[in-house]
Amino acid sequence: MSKGKIAIIGIGEVPTRNMPERTHWDIIYDTCMEAIKDSGLHKNDIEGAISVTPQAQPKIAAELSFGKLPEELGLKGCKDAVSVNAGGASTSNAIRLAEQWITSGIAKAVLVHHVTVHSTIPIPDLINFFARAGVDLQWEYPYGTTYNIIMGLMANRYMHESDCKPEEMASVVTALRSWAAKDTNSFFYGKEVPSVEKVLASALLNTPLHKRESNVLGDGGSAMVIVSAEDAKKMKRPAAYKLGDSVRYFSGTCVMRDFYKVAEGFVVTAKEAMAQAGITKEDVSLWNCYLAYPLAHPLIAELLEVAPQGMGGKYFLEGRMSFGGDIPWSSIGDAPGRGHTGSGVSTACYVETARQLMGKAGERQVKNCKYVYQNAGGGSGFNNIATIWGKEI
Amino acid sequence: MEFDMTKPVPETQPWSEKFWEGTKQGKLLIQVCKDCKSKIFYPRKFCPECWSGNLDWIEASGKAKIFTFSTAYDMVEPKFTDELPYTIAYVDLEEGIRMMTRIIECKPEDIRIDMEVEVVFQERGGYFLPYFRPVGKK
Ligand SMILES: [Zn+2]
Repeated sequence: MSKGKIAIIGIGEVPTRNMPERTHWDIIYDTCMEAIKDSGLHKNDIEGAISVTPQAQPKIAAELSFGKLPEELGLKGCKDAVSVNAGGASTSNAIRLAEQWITSGIAKAVLVHHVTVHSTIPIPDLINFFARAGVDLQWEYPYGTTYNIIMGLMANRYMHESDCKPEEMASVVTALRSWAAKDTNSFFYGKEVPSVEKVLASALLNTPLHKRESNVLGDGGSAMVIVSAEDAKKMKRPAAYKLGDSVRYFSGTCVMRDFYKVAEGFVVTAKEAMAQAGITKEDVSLWNCYLAYPLAHPLIAELLEVAPQGMGGKYFLEGRMSFGGDIPWSSIGDAPGRGHTGSGVSTACYVETARQLMGKAGERQVKNCKYVYQNAGGGSGFNNIATIWGKEI
Repeated sequence: MEFDMTKPVPETQPWSEKFWEGTKQGKLLIQVCKDCKSKIFYPRKFCPECWSGNLDWIEASGKAKIFTFSTAYDMVEPKFTDELPYTIAYVDLEEGIRMMTRIIECKPEDIRIDMEVEVVFQERGGYFLPYFRPVGKK
C-alpha cells in the first residue's frame, strides 16, 4: 500500500521539439534545475537521483547508469544514483524506488528525470530500434510487424467488437491535439487542431491507422522532486500526493497478450488504486491516460467507466474529452499530442499530473483539480500501472 | 542513408528448433507437456504451466480462424517495403494456440475477422514461415 507516503513538490520540463543542437546534458541541466528550484529546496538537499533510462541512446544511458548526474549538477548531498528501465513504465518504477528510498531513510528528497534526443539518432538506427523493441524476434519480427501494426491489430478487433466507427477513432486525435495546441511544451503548441476529416484524409499506414493517428518522434525531457508526504505538508507548498498504485503484468510478446485479460487488468488496477486512495471514479478530476497511440483511448474510456460500453468513440467524437469538454482527459494529449519522447512520455504525464494538482497548468488548468488518475505501461503494453494522485492528503 | 535490407529470419532457441524443422517438412508442430497435457506456444525449455521438462510435439491440423488483422501500406522497415501491401494477423489454431502470421493469397479488402484460414509455408533464408491463406484456396 502506498497511500500518502510521498509527494511531488517540484517539476521542470523543456518543450518537446526536434532540436539536434540541444544536447542531452542541456536538457538535463534545464529540467533538473527547474524542478529543484520549483521545489523550494537547495540543490544539496537532493539525496537521491533516479534517471528514466533513455531508449535507443546507449551513450547517455551509460553515462546516467554509471552515476554521472549528481556529479555534473553538483548535487553535493546526493547519496545514490541509479537508472530505471521498464520502457514506458520506467517513471512509475522510478517513483516507486524514490518512495522506497524516502520511507527507508536513504534519502529525504529524490530527483526523478528523463531526457531523450531522437533527432541525432541516425534514421536507420531509429527505425530498426522501434521495429525490434517489444516485438518477439522469433515469432513476430520475421513477419514484418511494427508498433503501428500491433496497434492496428488491437484497434481492428476493438472496432469489430464495439462497432466503433473510423470517424470516432479519428476524433481521438482531434481531442488529444486540442490539449496539445494549448501546451507550451508540446510539439504541436499553437498548431492547427486537425479535424476528423483531415485525420481520415491522411495516408493509411496500416488498417485502420492513418498517418495522423500515429506518432511524431521528438526530443524532450522533464524532471520532478519527490519528498515524503509529511515533509511536503510541512513545506506548505503546492504538491501532488501519491495515494494509490496498482499494477498487472500481461505479456512480453504481443501475440501472447490476451485482449480480455488486458481489459480486465485496466479495470482492476483502476479499482484497486482508487480503493487505496479512498475515492471513487466520480472523485477523479482528470483522467491522465498514457496509451502512446490514440486508437486505444475509446476502449480505455469504457474500461475506466468514464464512457458506457460501446460509447467510448462517441464521447470523443462529441468533444467531451477535448480541451473545454466536460471530461478532462490526457491534458498533454498523450504521445500523439505531446510528440513521442520514448519512455519520456510517461515522465511528462506524471509531471503534468503534478502540475495540474499544484494548480500550475495555466490555460489547461482543470478546475478544482483534486484527484488525478494516471496510468502507464511498458514496452508494447506488457503491463498497466494505475496510480491516483491528490492535491491533499 | 544506409539501411540493412537483410530480411530477418527467426532468432531460434535450442528448444524451438524442432518447430522450424517441422515447417521444412510442411508440418506445423505444437509443443505439448506430457505431464500436464498443456499445449504450449511458443515452444519453451520447460512447460510454463508445471515446469516439467517432459515435452513432446504434435502436428496441428493447420486450420485456424483470424482473430484480428492489420494490412500494412506504408511505414514498415525498408527491408519489408518491397512486400507492401501485406497483412499481419493473429490467428487462432483449432488446437487453441494463437500465432502471429501473414495472410496471403487473398485481396486485403476481402480479409475478415473470423475468416477460416489454413497454413501454407513460405521460405525465407532457409526457414519456412507459417503463413495462412483462406481455406479452399489452391
Ligand atoms: Zn506441464
